[in-house]
Amino acid sequence: MIPEGTRFLLPPEARLKAELQGRLQALFLRHGYEPVELPALEVYDPHHPLAARAFKLVDKTGEVLALRSEFTTLLAKLLRPHLGEGVHRFQYAGALWLREGDAELGRLREYTQVGLELIGVTGPKADAEVLHLAFAALEALGIEGVVEVGLPSLVGEVLRASGLPPGAKKAAQAAIHRKNLPELTALLARHPVPEEIKKALLALPDLYGEPEVLQEAQALPLPPRAQAALAGLEATLALLDRPVLLDLGMARRYEYYSGIFFRAYTPSFGLPLLGGGRYDGALLPQAAGFALGVERVLEALKPPQVEAPPEVLALDLKALRRFAREKRVELFHGDNPVAYAKAKGIPFLAEGERIWEVP
Amino acid sequence: MKRYALTVALPKGRMFQEAYEALRRAGLPLPPIRDARALLHGEEGGVALLELRNKDVPVYVDLGIAEIGVVGKDILLDSGRDLYEPVDLGFGACRLSLIRRPGDTSPIRRIATKYPSFTARLLRERGWVADVVELTGNIELAAVTGLADAVVDVVQTGATLKAAGLVEVEVLAHSTARLVVNRQSLKLKRSLIKPLIAKLRERDGGP
Repeated sequence: MIPEGTRFLLPPEARLKAELQGRLQALFLRHGYEPVELPALEVYDPHHPLAARAFKLVDKTGEVLALRSEFTTLLAKLLRPHLGEGVHRFQYAGALWLREGDAELGRLREYTQVGLELIGVTGPKADAEVLHLAFAALEALGIEGVVEVGLPSLVGEVLRASGLPPGAKKAAQAAIHRKNLPELTALLARHPVPEEIKKALLALPDLYGEPEVLQEAQALPLPPRAQAALAGLEATLALLDRPVLLDLGMARRYEYYSGIFFRAYTPSFGLPLLGGGRYDGALLPQAAGFALGVERVLEALKPPQVEAPPEVLALDLKALRRFAREKRVELFHGDNPVAYAKAKGIPFLAEGERIWEVP
Repeated sequence: MKRYALTVALPKGRMFQEAYEALRRAGLPLPPIRDARALLHGEEGGVALLELRNKDVPVYVDLGIAEIGVVGKDILLDSGRDLYEPVDLGFGACRLSLIRRPGDTSPIRRIATKYPSFTARLLRERGWVADVVELTGNIELAAVTGLADAVVDVVQTGATLKAAGLVEVEVLAHSTARLVVNRQSLKLKRSLIKPLIAKLRERDGGP
C-alpha cells in the first residue's frame, strides 16, 4: 500500500513528531528565524546537487519536474533577487523525497527536515550563532548529542596548493574522506607534490578528536589561506564556548562548503541527527545553515509506546466544550464511566460545568 | 540487546583467524572463541565479535551495529558504503581480474561476477555495453559453460583458473584486508579506536 522507504505514524508517534517539530520551530523563531514555505515540486535542474537522486515526474507541458529533495538550493535561488543588504534569517520545515536511499535505520525515501539559514553575514560570530542553534535544538529535543565540527575548506586549500592533476586531486580527496592513509601515501608517492604539502595532507586525516588537534594543525606547514581558515575556526570555538569534537580531515564537498561543516551524533544511534555548514559563494555570497532529520530524531528518542491517558472524561458535550479549552478531554460513550476512567487511568470526570475526581 | 564496549565484525573463513590475531596483537581484548558454532562471541561490557559473511561486514559497520570490522578491499570496492578505511592490514592479498576463455577476443556481451557494482562501474568507465549477471559461487563456471563471455572474479594464486582452463586477461584491482570503522564510532569511541589504529599501522612499520 505504501512504497519502500516511507512511513506511516500512529499515536503516540504522530503526535510526538508534530510536538518535536513545533518545539524546533518555536526555538528558531525565538532566535529571529522567520518561517518560509516552498513548493514540493520544482523544475528539474541537472545541476542541482541531488539531481540524480530526486524523484522526477513529467509536467503537462512535457517539462521534467523534480520532487523537493532539499530546501537550501531552491530557497537560495528564490531569495537571490530579493535579498537586500543586511542579515536575513529563515527557517523551513517539511517533507523531502529521494528516489534512492536505503530504507535502513531512518534512511528513508520520504522524510522530514526542520532547518534554518543565516544569510548575509559570515565569520566566526555568524558560525558561532549557527552552531549555538544546533546545540539549542538538541537541548530542546532532550537529546544528549555530540557536535562534530570539521573544516572541509582546510583540506580544500591544501589540495588546491598541491598542484595535483584533477583526477589525482579527486582520488586524494576520496582517500582523505575515508582516512585511508595507505592509499593516500601511495597516491602522493606517484605524483610530484611539495614536501610540506605532502606532510600536511598525510597529517590531516588523523587530526580528529579533542580541540587539541587544532594546535597540532596550526603547527603544520599550511598554505596561508588554510591557516586563515584554522584561525577562523579557533575564533568560532572560543565564541561558542561549548565542547565540540573536531575532525580536521573532513573532506566532504569542499568545493561547496567554504568554511565549517558540522554534524550531531547521539551515542547508540548510528546516523547523524543534524548536519550543516557554511557555503559562502556557492549559492549566495554569504550563507550558513543546518537541518535536522525529524524521523532520525524520533528513532533516536525511541518514544515510549504507552500513550498518556486524557485528564478528563466528559460525560456530555457541554463538559467537553467547557473543559477541552485547557485540558485533554475525552467524551465518554458507554454505560459505566467510573469503571472506564479507572481502567484507563483518567483522573477526573466532568458533566456540564461540574468536574470531580474519580472516586 | 546486550551492550558491549566495542563490537567487531569479522568475515568468516580464511580471513577470520588472521584478522583475530592482528587485532589481538594490537592490544584489543578480544573474547576467546569458546564455541565455534556461535555467531556472536563476547561478554556484556567487553568486546563483542560478530562472525559474518564478508559482504555483510561493511553493512554492519556502516549502520553502526559493529563499530569496526575487517574486510577485503575487493568487498569494499563493491559495497559503496561510506566507511573509514584507516589501515591496510596486508594479509588476504588477492586481485580482482577479468577472466576469459583462452584466445577469446570477441566483444563482451555478458559478464558474470560476484561483484556487480564494481563490474557495472568498470563497464561504464570503459564504455563497454554488456549485461552483468550476478552469481554467488564458482564464477569461473560461467565462462567455462558459456553463460558469460567473461567473468570478473577474485584470483589468489591462479590455480583454480588454470584447472578450469581459463586465462586472466587483466588485473583490475589489487586487494588486501582493511580495517574499516564506522564514521561516528571513530569519533565517539576514539579512546579505544585511535590507539588501535596507531598500533595496527605500526605493525609493519607504517601504512
